[in-house]
Amino acid sequence: MKGNSRLRQLATFGLVALAVLALGACAAEYPNTTFQPKSEFARSIDFLWDRLLLLGTIVFVLVEAALIFVIFRYRRRPSDTSTPPQTHGNATLEILWTIIPAVILIFIAIPTVKTIFQTQAKVAAGALEIEVIGHQWWWEFKYPQYNIVTANEIYIPAGRTVNFKLNSDDVIHSFWIPQLAGKRDMIANRTNYIWFTPDSSLGPAVYNGFCTEYCGTQHAKMRFRVFTVRPEQFESWVAGQQKPAAFGAVASAAPAATGTPTPPQSGVGPEGGAARAVPRPAGSVIPGSDSFPAAAPMTGASTARLASGYTFPDHQPEFAYARPNSTIPANLKFTKGLTGNAARGQQAYSSSACIGCHVITGNPMSQGIVGPNLTHFGSRSTIGAGSFPNTPAYLALWLKNTRAMKPGSIMPTLGKNEYDPQLKTTVTTGGLDDQQIADIVAYLMSLK
Amino acid sequence: MATTAVPTTLSPHATLKPDSNSGVWGWLTTVDHKRIGILYLYTALAFFIIGGLEAVIIRAQLQGPNGTLVSPETYNQLFTMHGTTMVFLAIMPLSAAFFNFLIPLQIGARDVAFPRLNAFSYWVYLFGGIFITVPIFFLVAPNGGWFGYTPLTTKAYSPGINIDFWVIGLQILGVSSLAAAFNFITTIINLRAPGMTLMRMPMFTWMSFVVQFLVILAFPVITIALVFLLFDRFFGTMFYTTAAGADPLLWQHLFWIFGHPEVYILILPAFGLVSEVLPTFSKKPLFGYPVMVYSGILIGVLGFGVWAHHMFAVGMGAIADSVFAVSTMLIAIPTGVKIFNWIGTMAQGQLRFTTAMKFAIGLVALFTIGGISGVMHSSPPADLQQTDSYFIVAHFHYVLFGGSIMGIMAGIYYYFPKMTGRLMNERLGNWHFWLNFIAMNLTFFPMHYSGMLGMPRRVYTYDSGQGWDTFNLISSIGAYMLVAATLIFVYNFFASRKRGEIAGANPWGAGTLEWTIPSPVPEYNFAVLPTVTSRYPLWEGSEKDAESARINSQEGKTAEELGIILPYSTIKPMIVALSMVVMFCGLITTMALTFLGAAIMVVSLYSWLLSPLEPEHH
Repeated sequence: MKGNSRLRQLATFGLVALAVLALGACAAEYPNTTFQPKSEFARSIDFLWDRLLLLGTIVFVLVEAALIFVIFRYRRRPSDTSTPPQTHGNATLEILWTIIPAVILIFIAIPTVKTIFQTQAKVAAGALEIEVIGHQWWWEFKYPQYNIVTANEIYIPAGRTVNFKLNSDDVIHSFWIPQLAGKRDMIANRTNYIWFTPDSSLGPAVYNGFCTEYCGTQHAKMRFRVFTVRPEQFESWVAGQQKPAAFGAVASAAPAATGTPTPPQSGVGPEGGAARAVPRPAGSVIPGSDSFPAAAPMTGASTARLASGYTFPDHQPEFAYARPNSTIPANLKFTKGLTGNAARGQQAYSSSACIGCHVITGNPMSQGIVGPNLTHFGSRSTIGAGSFPNTPAYLALWLKNTRAMKPGSIMPTLGKNEYDPQLKTTVTTGGLDDQQIADIVAYLMSLK
Repeated sequence: MATTAVPTTLSPHATLKPDSNSGVWGWLTTVDHKRIGILYLYTALAFFIIGGLEAVIIRAQLQGPNGTLVSPETYNQLFTMHGTTMVFLAIMPLSAAFFNFLIPLQIGARDVAFPRLNAFSYWVYLFGGIFITVPIFFLVAPNGGWFGYTPLTTKAYSPGINIDFWVIGLQILGVSSLAAAFNFITTIINLRAPGMTLMRMPMFTWMSFVVQFLVILAFPVITIALVFLLFDRFFGTMFYTTAAGADPLLWQHLFWIFGHPEVYILILPAFGLVSEVLPTFSKKPLFGYPVMVYSGILIGVLGFGVWAHHMFAVGMGAIADSVFAVSTMLIAIPTGVKIFNWIGTMAQGQLRFTTAMKFAIGLVALFTIGGISGVMHSSPPADLQQTDSYFIVAHFHYVLFGGSIMGIMAGIYYYFPKMTGRLMNERLGNWHFWLNFIAMNLTFFPMHYSGMLGMPRRVYTYDSGQGWDTFNLISSIGAYMLVAATLIFVYNFFASRKRGEIAGANPWGAGTLEWTIPSPVPEYNFAVLPTVTSRYPLWEGSEKDAESARINSQEGKTAEELGIILPYSTIKPMIVALSMVVMFCGLITTMALTFLGAAIMVVSLYSWLLSPLEPEHH
């Protein structure tokens, strides 16, 4: 039985290989896994997946085992001199192996159709409405019930059904938060919906979202962040977002020890206070580039008394996966040691091209609707739709040469003497020098 | 034996043809289905290598997070061209190589029904392939994906010349496929040898027959879709202009009504080849022949009713999703039957593990995986997690690489002796197979994981810390190994063509008609038209079969000696094809070129149609 022992060897090898793969799949961190569903929608998909995987594995094992058996059992041996039986078929067998797959498929089809109708039913009343509009290559989010417009990140309260209304402003995009739900395309001239209820047991956490329909040059960097928060944190966040931009509110952030004062009107409960945002470090070091401390004392501090609501605390090690780590272009440099002035920054911003594309509620000059709404820019965790962390250092480089940072961007290169790879020219007149950029950075970062 | 010693298929049979049969001119003017098949083979292998190199650059870029080997724009061109090349310029034409070479031999015909149209098909393919491929070397290649979804591919979002190459190129290639399909259908219906009933046809010819119908039904749809897009881009119509109210899903429906049958256009010929190889090396007839025929037809028919399973995420509604889910699941049944019947063919046989056999078994083993993952995304809710993730990339590479390419490789090793008169080296073939098999799994299996762990498709880069790094690294290592495997194959191919062992008429002890004639095949194929009384004339045939085989296996006779009249060689199909491509080039250069091309095309077409196909019969 030489053939049998070889068969056993092969089977052992296969099992060991599978075990290694399975171990590998558990050992490390998989922040975007579809196997740990965090909503009833994702769970119903996961249920189907489990069934498909089980039946698929059974079919796989049976077919491959039959194949391997036949290969070893019927290999030609030197003793074979006669012709093997010239069978042309076997009606019983053939009917059997037509019926068996059909039966297996019934066990897949029934729960499939059930789940289709379940997940595509009309959403229950009282859901949180979020409008999502896809743009090349960023996300516009609107909360019509709260009059909030934001970009590239959303806050949703755990336990409350969210109904996403999906549209596109240009090409087709697709909306995907792997841990929370399946995909749904975003298509111009059509409105799609997808709704789910994040588990009420979820603590404050962040999830990565992706565009999953190829949408042009920067499809890869059309990402977003989803923060599931507790209801009271959500209320606080909403209250903060509803206020106009209040630059200067962050001024006291420089000495971290003092913390951010809790505004009495923010509605943050004692629990929410614990998870309060810690101030960003004043300027982080960009790998491979000059450090750029931008958040310096700002003269505009006295102009604003309003403070932001809840924001998700940054730099938590367990959510490191939500912090982008794209490399920056090697030849993009920024002058060391500049300090930005938010008031000057507001001036520079309001008299430059920025206002043609961006809205900042509270800044009457800034009315453009082509690009993301920047009203509470300083409270966001990333820039460029999940391309870079939102720190002064990255933002400075971003403003200096967006098209080097994210090739293909519709936002033009702004830095003086910078080369715009799309227009194939160097920016001269009207270009921003490093000091102006530092000022604008200070202004934008102050928009909490 | 002198003929078989000639290193190429340029067998120096003297002919009644007025034109020369050898040298470059001979190849440019040939209307011989076998030589056209060989032209297809070489050209498609060249494109296969180009498409493979594109894939290797893609894998090198994705080897680790935040790769910077190529720019986003270049990456998008690479994945677009990898898909376009592999589908339209590699796998389809590799199948066409076998259609051309084999169908007349398997049905006992002298040539295809329209030899000059056949040459025309090839030249259109070659020039169209060059047209669509050249831009990648200048980094202005199409960048809208092989599926070219609107509105991304409309002028508003892709103003450059890139998409123009794609729209025009596919339009040109469609002409080639359609002309060939009509040709083969006519051939199979009309030119079968006496006694070669439909239910005696070899399975490869059967599957090819089904494929030709898929082509003539599916290609007009993509042609219309492309005409709309072409008109939008060049003449300002607004079929896909969302600003004017167009529904972007129009393109998707049209594309996938073509695109899904296209999948079967890519896989059924490989199924056919495997259905030739497995019986021969099992020394047993194909198990369940009628069921294999019917399941092939059923796959073809059902293939037109499942297109929207590519669109489960577009929001078609619960009813449409359910219908397409069930129709997609149904197609698994005839496909499964094929797998079981192949295993049934091998069972109780005496299996010989030649390289061809290994590749054929490889198809059975790997296509099964692709089929199972296919059922996994036939369930729309489950598909919502899988679609447009790397899981899908894994799935269709198991179908197209594990299926089509494995089957085609089996076909190449199996029919190489029939084409060249020499055997491919089995030792190198063994290395090729095992390296290919291991590397293929190493490349594509981890993609199941990266996809279900949330990695979207068509991204030129990804952040670290997403849990995808290891899987991507393994995939890239597998891809580099595939390069090594392919190099072994290429070396084996050319070395064996020069120095391979002399094969003889029937080196494998096969049973079908093409093995009754010498290798390489004489220009006229069959000295006498064979009379066929069974599916395997060499195994279970009657006296009549044996008599035809005895006469036809004789070597060295020229067509002249046998009094066989062959068609004239002619350059005209090539001129018509070239001028057609020139005509299309005018769209992206200057209108004058269009008029010039059209003028040459009309003149040469007239000249072609007015010249006789072959000398008068006496």
